[in-house]
Amino acid sequence: MTLTADPPAEASPDVRRLATARRLIVFGLISSTVVAVLIGSAFTGEEPAPGIPMPGPFVVYGLPVVRAMIDLAAVAVVGLTVLPKLLGFGDPSRTEPVMSRVRPLAVSLAWVWALCALVTIVFQAAELNPGQVPSIGTVVDYVSSVGAGQGLLFSTACALASAGIGLLAVRFGESVPAELRIVIALFGLLPIPVTGHAVDSVWHDPIMISMELHVLGAALWTGGLLAVMLFVTADRELLATTLPKFSRLATLCLVVVSLSGLISGLSTMALTPGVELPGAIVTTGYGWLLVAKVVFTLMLLPIAAHIRYRLLPRVERREGTAVAMWAVAELVIMGAAYGVAVALTRAPVG
Amino acid sequence: MRRLLTALMLAGATLLIAAPPAQAHNVLTGSDPKDGATIAEGPSKITLEFDQPVRQGFSQVTVIGPGGARFEQGKVSVNGPKVTMGVAPLGSAGKYVVGYRVLSSDGHPISGTIDFTLSEDGPAATGAQPAASTGPDAESTEPAAPAPANPPADPPADSNAALSAQAAEAAQNGGASMAVLWVGAALVLLLIGTVVALRRAKPAASASPGTPSPAPGGESA
Repeated sequence: MTLTADPPAEASPDVRRLATARRLIVFGLISSTVVAVLIGSAFTGEEPAPGIPMPGPFVVYGLPVVRAMIDLAAVAVVGLTVLPKLLGFGDPSRTEPVMSRVRPLAVSLAWVWALCALVTIVFQAAELNPGQVPSIGTVVDYVSSVGAGQGLLFSTACALASAGIGLLAVRFGESVPAELRIVIALFGLLPIPVTGHAVDSVWHDPIMISMELHVLGAALWTGGLLAVMLFVTADRELLATTLPKFSRLATLCLVVVSLSGLISGLSTMALTPGVELPGAIVTTGYGWLLVAKVVFTLMLLPIAAHIRYRLLPRVERREGTAVAMWAVAELVIMGAAYGVAVALTRAPVG
Repeated sequence: MRRLLTALMLAGATLLIAAPPAQAHNVLTGSDPKDGATIAEGPSKITLEFDQPVRQGFSQVTVIGPGGARFEQGKVSVNGPKVTMGVAPLGSAGKYVVGYRVLSSDGHPISGTIDFTLSEDGPAATGAQPAASTGPDAESTEPAAPAPANPPADPPADSNAALSAQAAEAAQNGGASMAVLWVGAALVLLLIGTVVALRRAKPAASASPGTPSPAPGGESA
């Protein structure tokens, strides 16, 4: 995936450093997600039952990886569609060159999102029917009987709608309302928690709302950072007006994501029969994954604070900063959190 | 931004209202015989109880005796939160392991084991080998379970038949197949649109050779 242009040979060291940072961002985000989801899944696999065929390693590890790719593609699409709101519409001569690169990419990534969601449906059908290659009948039956399949199908539809409206935006530019594109992309995220756990209690709806907020907040935060760091850092003038806006959004997201994550994670555990808090936090795989996510959030805090309080004032004064490199660290941690999140949605709670 | 947030709230609210009812992750809460129990007489069936209803279909239960012989008999029946499996007359005394894999109501497969100890030889063991020494257990118990002679092959075949029957039914109703057709047609149109638009966008973005290739389909993970 080549997101950015290679700098010309005579490019200044500054431009070359930014290109390196961009490559690191893409590579770091994807690889940390994949590594985290593989480790998380290895620790929380299904307990083997004697005499019952279990899904093979291809499904056991392939499914969570593809499932994590849905998240990454969706996050990128959300970030790229939010970018015009962050850039603002006041100075098209400056923002249009950026957006003309962002819009086609958003369409392509929406396609990746849709394809990954479809592949995940096939994988999940295969997981339920170990030892056989899923036929169309198996997949149709899976989708018609299991809510997770319907949720993924809905997400696919939103991703394709996002690709469709993204195409209109490629053709007609910003006359296609940015809000519409953002809402469709975010809508596609909403069914994702349905594929995870839920509890059967009066608290079901509040917990679902909390999970939805978690998913939306995380996508806006990660996606927004990704888009700003990939496409805006080259232009100091643009960065000086964009980063403060993103910073406000990120602060809100940080609060929402941490609170909703704690609420939904802990209450899911508390409401599962046979799970004793607080002991279960360190005795179950689910609890450990939850701890890992809290640790990732704590690791993000100092980095986010450094960008917000040290670098942002200098960015606003149009000075050169190492903000892209700090963002690499932030996105690597966010990727790991996404990987763990996927393992968490699949880990048995008890 | 405020307009956007309002739109989002509304969108989220509609989705929640339209969302499917509570789908929870099941947990095994009890069983008959109990996990780790010691019993003198073999049960005629095993009952596993979960905290919430188990989904029909996909459920599998095995009963494996000392020496690896299989004792489950018949088909799994799911009744609300209870999953029941018939058990053939047990063989010699020893540890029996019950393995299960069921589909949780939130769509996740859940698997696990419980075990119980048979303190006295069952009818299958005494019939073939009155001395009931531990040595020839495997041999003596093998003929004792003629019904589940090839149990692992049976349930998938059954569920397969059920699946294809359901698929045929769906096709008859025109529901699934028509939907697939519509979705397929829409996808082809969208794909053509993508290719054309990205081709056209290329010259405009020629300053940035990094524009993604017009064939995103190849990028699927």
